[in-house]
Amino acid sequence: MSTTTVGGPRETGPRGTGSHRTGTHRTGPRRAGSRGAGGDRGKRWHRSLQGVSFVLPNFLGFGLLTLGPVVALFYLSFTNWNVFGTARWVGLDNFTRLARDASFHRALLNTLYYSALHIPLTLALSLALALLLDRGLRGAAFFRTAAFFPYVTSIVAIAIAWNLLFSKDAGPVNQVLGLFGVDDPPGWTASSDWAMPAVILVGVWREMGYYMLLFLAGLQTVPPELHEAARIDGAGAWQRFRNVTLPCLRPTTFFVTVMLTIGSFKVFDLILVMTNGGPGQSTLVLSQYIYQKGLVENRFGYASAVSVVLFGLCMAVTAVQFAVNRRRED
Amino acid sequence: MRHRHPGRTAITAAVTALALTATACGGDEAADSGGPVTLTMSAWSLNSTPEFTKLAEAFHERNPDVEVEFKEYDATNYDTQLTADLAAGSGPDVFVLKNLKNFFTYQSGEQLLDVSDVAHGLGDGVNGLGDYEVDGVTYAVPYRQDSWYLYYNKDLFATAGVTPPDATWTWAQYERAVADLTAGLKAAGSPAKAAYQHVWQSTVQGLALAQTPGADLDSGDYGYLAPYYRRALAQQEAGAQVDYGTATTNTLQYQAQFGTQQAATMLMGSWYVATLIAQQKSGDAQSFQWGFAPAPQRDGGTGDKPVTFGDPTGLGINAAIDEGEVAAAKEFLAFVAGEGGATALASIGITPATLTEPVAQAYFAVQGVPADELSRFAFTTHDTRAENPVSPETAALQNILQETHSAIMSGSTPVDEALGRAGARARSEVLGSR
Repeated sequence: MSTTTVGGPRETGPRGTGSHRTGTHRTGPRRAGSRGAGGDRGKRWHRSLQGVSFVLPNFLGFGLLTLGPVVALFYLSFTNWNVFGTARWVGLDNFTRLARDASFHRALLNTLYYSALHIPLTLALSLALALLLDRGLRGAAFFRTAAFFPYVTSIVAIAIAWNLLFSKDAGPVNQVLGLFGVDDPPGWTASSDWAMPAVILVGVWREMGYYMLLFLAGLQTVPPELHEAARIDGAGAWQRFRNVTLPCLRPTTFFVTVMLTIGSFKVFDLILVMTNGGPGQSTLVLSQYIYQKGLVENRFGYASAVSVVLFGLCMAVTAVQFAVNRRRED
Repeated sequence: MRHRHPGRTAITAAVTALALTATACGGDEAADSGGPVTLTMSAWSLNSTPEFTKLAEAFHERNPDVEVEFKEYDATNYDTQLTADLAAGSGPDVFVLKNLKNFFTYQSGEQLLDVSDVAHGLGDGVNGLGDYEVDGVTYAVPYRQDSWYLYYNKDLFATAGVTPPDATWTWAQYERAVADLTAGLKAAGSPAKAAYQHVWQSTVQGLALAQTPGADLDSGDYGYLAPYYRRALAQQEAGAQVDYGTATTNTLQYQAQFGTQQAATMLMGSWYVATLIAQQKSGDAQSFQWGFAPAPQRDGGTGDKPVTFGDPTGLGINAAIDEGEVAAAKEFLAFVAGEGGATALASIGITPATLTEPVAQAYFAVQGVPADELSRFAFTTHDTRAENPVSPETAALQNILQETHSAIMSGSTPVDEALGRAGARARSEVLGSR
């Protein structure tokens, strides 16, 4: 190993250009090279082993608990299986049935409804919050913590607390609305029209603190010189935000959008505790439908088919986002 | 314990790992036939659910060679966790069937041993035994058979000047009493409501299914629920009970509603007797005179044996149990479903599946159990129909009906429209896909 290391620089060094030295190296490096190649391989192998030993525990966990079940999920989506019996191959039956399943359609529409409001609202509010707290206001650290706090609080506690706030007669939300002259405030989670907006509101409130932190980190990467130059050029605050801040934040915005999209499509626990999908099916989303079909009705084949659709939906939307982002970068 | 279908077990373990919270696998002691045997049994919330320990201790007293050890599961996710264990081949030797909704899954999945011989030995006096019979074979035995009563607060009835219920109350009489209670309590300055109806679908649908002749969950025709829903909505609108929206958003507990005298009547399962007694002792419930009556009836014709509902709680034997333990497991089943187990359960205020005179005596000897004639009649005399009749489609249909319940009770959808939709969904999504 040392031969190669020493010989290499000699050959390419400033003094190693003569034919003599080249000739010397014709045999020397060949022998050394044969040993060196083995040494290289050995070293590489050793380094690979070291690398693998670092990632192996994580990969084993991933393979066993994520990759394996995902592969099994795709297989099961083409079967009829109730956990105990043999999984019976039914081809595309589950998917053709899904196409006719009104409850699945409702769950899909509700998921899109939730995502269509939750993603832009969270994005806008978390960015606004980040911009506000990036200005070095007095007590900014406190407000940052306060905004982040809901994200680390138990989702069950949040859901119960908000349910109480949304209570039709005694809830503070409706009492405040009453102060503004709203005579017939909605029943919120007990109303099929208002349950989803209520859930979205809580979802946005809970998550905007987390995305605010990401935006705050992104704002640190915006070069102050650009703002300075724009200011000298006479750009106003809105122009600087639009032409300097936003373009510089593009990587962060892209990441936040992708994460928000996937999170919104998979929303489950908040809805389960706040409304359990109701009233009726007004807040039933795909994740809960999967839970119902799989763990409540023991129709794991059918539930797997819904999971595959959800997986495909997440993949498709994320792929579109990647493509749009790439085009913008170009 | 034998592990059947190892390949399938591996797939099962992998898939369930995504969504199921598997509990630690317990090992079994293989027992030599004739020697000491240790059976493992599923259970939940051992600290607050004394029935399992009581049954195991009572059985061990009579059979010193057999010990029962518990494998504890989470009460809320019991069936999910047990299913995961059974599918992975690490389930307990005997396991509890918490209700009838999942019995079909275990039975059709061949997880239950044929215990017809135990059932034959028990005779006809065990309530709910027939629910575990499929094609002439019995797969489990019930050890408790809860049924629904009308709980009433005697003090609040006196305050309102309303005559307490009797054994023959019809729904019409109940409605009149609720109206009188509402007016009487208000006149007396009491903040209590006449009734509390909890948010579960059972509170309306269970009694409708049990009491309506010809009503069938599998029919896809849910018109029989309409009068029961109209009554519940009318009482809600009249302010006789807390409305559904408030009960759900405020996460009201039925125990607190009746136990702290916020409601004069409440339809609830027989398990609440033991809960209320315990809460009155601990101070979580107030001290007042109360009793329980048969649930109101569709008409007066069932007065001699009021019709109510409730699923039995059963015990089955894991089909993969070690052969050397089968005899002991069957003995245990025979004990828990028989008079011995029933007396043990009754002595801690639980309603067993076997209701004989000694069992009733043990039950009413428990301190705090109302000893009046009406309560005694409600306990000993009733025709309890299953809330979840055994069928491959029950779980899916109950899901549809649960969504229907929240749609109606929240006032989101008119009764007839919601029931019509439920029927259409049942036919297209469940019954039509058979």
